[in-house]
Amino acid sequence: MTDTLVRPGATLDAGDRVALVDSVRRLLADRCTEADVRRIMDSESGHDPDLWRALSALGVTSLVLPEAAGGAGLSAVELELVMEEAGAVLLPAPLISTAIASVLAPQLDGLADGSRIAAIAFTGAQDWTGHGDVRIDGDRLSGTARFVPDAAIADTIMVAGDDGVFAVDRADVTVTPLPVFDCTRRMADVAFHGPATRIGDGAQVDAARDIGLIALAGEQAGGARRMLEMTVAYATERHQFGRAIGSFQAIKHMAADLLLESESAISAARDAARQVAEGSATKDAAVALAAFACGDAFVRVAKDGIQMHGGIAFTWEHPAHLYLRRARSGAQLYGDGAHWRERYLRALEAQA
Amino acid sequence: MTDEQLRDEVEAWLAANWTGLPAHHESFGRDPRSAWLAKVRDAGWAVPRWDAEWHGRGLSNDQAKIIERAFAAAGAPGTGQDRSNLWANTALAHATDSFKRTIVPQLLAGEVGMCLLYSEPGAGSDLAAVRTRAEKVEGGWRVTGQKVWTSGAAVADYGMLIARTDWDVPKHRGISFFFLPMKQAGVEVRPLRQITDEAHFNEVFITDAFVPEENLLGPLNGGWGVLQTALAYERSVMGDAARGPRSGAGGPKGDYSLLGLAQEAGRLDDPVVRQDVAQVIAWRVLNKLNTQRAKAELAQGTSSSIMSLGKLAMSRILHEEARVRGLLLGPESLLEGPEHPRAEDANFLALNAYFTSIGGGTDQIQRNIIGERVLGLPREPEVDRTVPFREVRAG
Repeated sequence: MTDTLVRPGATLDAGDRVALVDSVRRLLADRCTEADVRRIMDSESGHDPDLWRALSALGVTSLVLPEAAGGAGLSAVELELVMEEAGAVLLPAPLISTAIASVLAPQLDGLADGSRIAAIAFTGAQDWTGHGDVRIDGDRLSGTARFVPDAAIADTIMVAGDDGVFAVDRADVTVTPLPVFDCTRRMADVAFHGPATRIGDGAQVDAARDIGLIALAGEQAGGARRMLEMTVAYATERHQFGRAIGSFQAIKHMAADLLLESESAISAARDAARQVAEGSATKDAAVALAAFACGDAFVRVAKDGIQMHGGIAFTWEHPAHLYLRRARSGAQLYGDGAHWRERYLRALEAQA
Repeated sequence: MTDEQLRDEVEAWLAANWTGLPAHHESFGRDPRSAWLAKVRDAGWAVPRWDAEWHGRGLSNDQAKIIERAFAAAGAPGTGQDRSNLWANTALAHATDSFKRTIVPQLLAGEVGMCLLYSEPGAGSDLAAVRTRAEKVEGGWRVTGQKVWTSGAAVADYGMLIARTDWDVPKHRGISFFFLPMKQAGVEVRPLRQITDEAHFNEVFITDAFVPEENLLGPLNGGWGVLQTALAYERSVMGDAARGPRSGAGGPKGDYSLLGLAQEAGRLDDPVVRQDVAQVIAWRVLNKLNTQRAKAELAQGTSSSIMSLGKLAMSRILHEEARVRGLLLGPESLLEGPEHPRAEDANFLALNAYFTSIGGGTDQIQRNIIGERVLGLPREPEVDRTVPFREVRAG
């Protein structure tokens, strides 16, 4: 791996950043409507190759891939902003896995043009599920990695272990798709039986996990904000007792509390992204904070948002439950709130 | 005048005049720095954005900031009062010309002490429900009523007063705004003992006190509008001040961060405690990040919805931090006094958290403001909005 491949990405100036986010927003408004999300969610694979190609053509799938590897070479800051947009519309696409792969093994063919999708199995001390039993014996892998996002649509399974990163062809593993609660984020168990290619020594694993957490935090912050916007709009339109329900303090006060949650999530996600992009000495704490603050915020906003809507949001046709499903899946992915609060405190103790 | 010339002039003036001051002081009462402040005023530095007629220089905001930077660099107080002096700004905007000529220069030099006579026992969150009455007499008004939560009342020369001058119109339309002279027989000030056993505030009993004609600010019965500008100045001044636990007499004695206290109390090996400690620290950091983001958004000229969240966020932080401190200390938190500073801190913070969650607008009022002004939700219907105040139910 050359130096250029491990250098953190460049950041855009404010104007270019706005243009990037705008272009992503426009694409998503066109190609990832609620109807699209439901269509993809109901499909066998949970993946829309046409949409993925459109995202690749815009450069979204290779955002943090180094320029030397054919990517846009941008930083965690841009990734986070794009993920806010993706989260707002519940984009069902393997963007988080791809961002992790871009840091873990940028040299892998096909990442730059989106033609190869990689799923990431964290193992050993990095196994956030606590249920995997992957064993590494030389260059051979055995055992099963649990809850691997995007594994069923991946061309390559990357295994991020304590002292090595491996790539295994999809054809050489057994992938068992899981019956997931959130059908917009597919997962599978991956059983290994044999040869794997060692593609790294594990030095990039922490950085790769950080980028995954930031992408997830951005998605959650964007999802929380959109869910709150939907809820406030409904509380303004919906009338009972001759008044908009949003005029009742019982609803209004919940909305105010949720605004604090969703704005705090945005602040946390953006700060973590900035600190990672700058290689700040306190980035571990910032990433851990974003991990639980954004996860908790999205769950609370989605959960209370449904309550504030009332019966309409208890129906399958209303999109609110899709946000709650996504929020609940994100709040487990890569470690739950309690895990990251503990890691946050450890990071603060290490700083002190 | 170019920016360079202005910078040279202010720096030269400070070099020639500024020799430092004695120790710091309270923001109420007569200002012990008034000799210096008078000098600043007379040189035109106190309120550079104002017209020369009112001790200013008619400068732009950017030029005024050059002066503020020079004063800050020298460590000299007194400039920037066109932004920060609540009393002088309110008087300048609304006082009668003759009263303005007397009071504005005195306010700029801190030569008169001031206090706020807004809240009443029956008008807290619902400030427009004030029942203190001002009745027209020869040459002015006679005022009778009771005010509460007044800081600095004992040393004040004037109180900014809202009182009812018309009882037969709806509540917002019958209020007038006065500068009430405090040093007179009809004004009695009693310290108000708080739940923290401190007394930062007073009750003010007003019985037939006299306020001269020229001390009316704004139109008769137009006091609600005057109050809005005064409150806006007050909020912007409060926004600049540091929030959080108050220190000083009766305040926290120790210097414990939550993490430091947890460590010292030997509780950092308890995973439940660790979750609580991490969460409270996180809320504090998130609030700081929100404020930073709000300031950055405002600086870019986009409006920010985040600024209004800080007070609500701080209420939760203070109450929860106090709870966790109690948890960390266990039975030690049953104690108080100088022998038990950690318990004293925790218990003080538990009580003083209400200073933020009730004071300056309760959390519930704050949520209404966020819901209505930030999120655009409709107002709650108010049954007393169009009813003559005389007919509004009170108590």
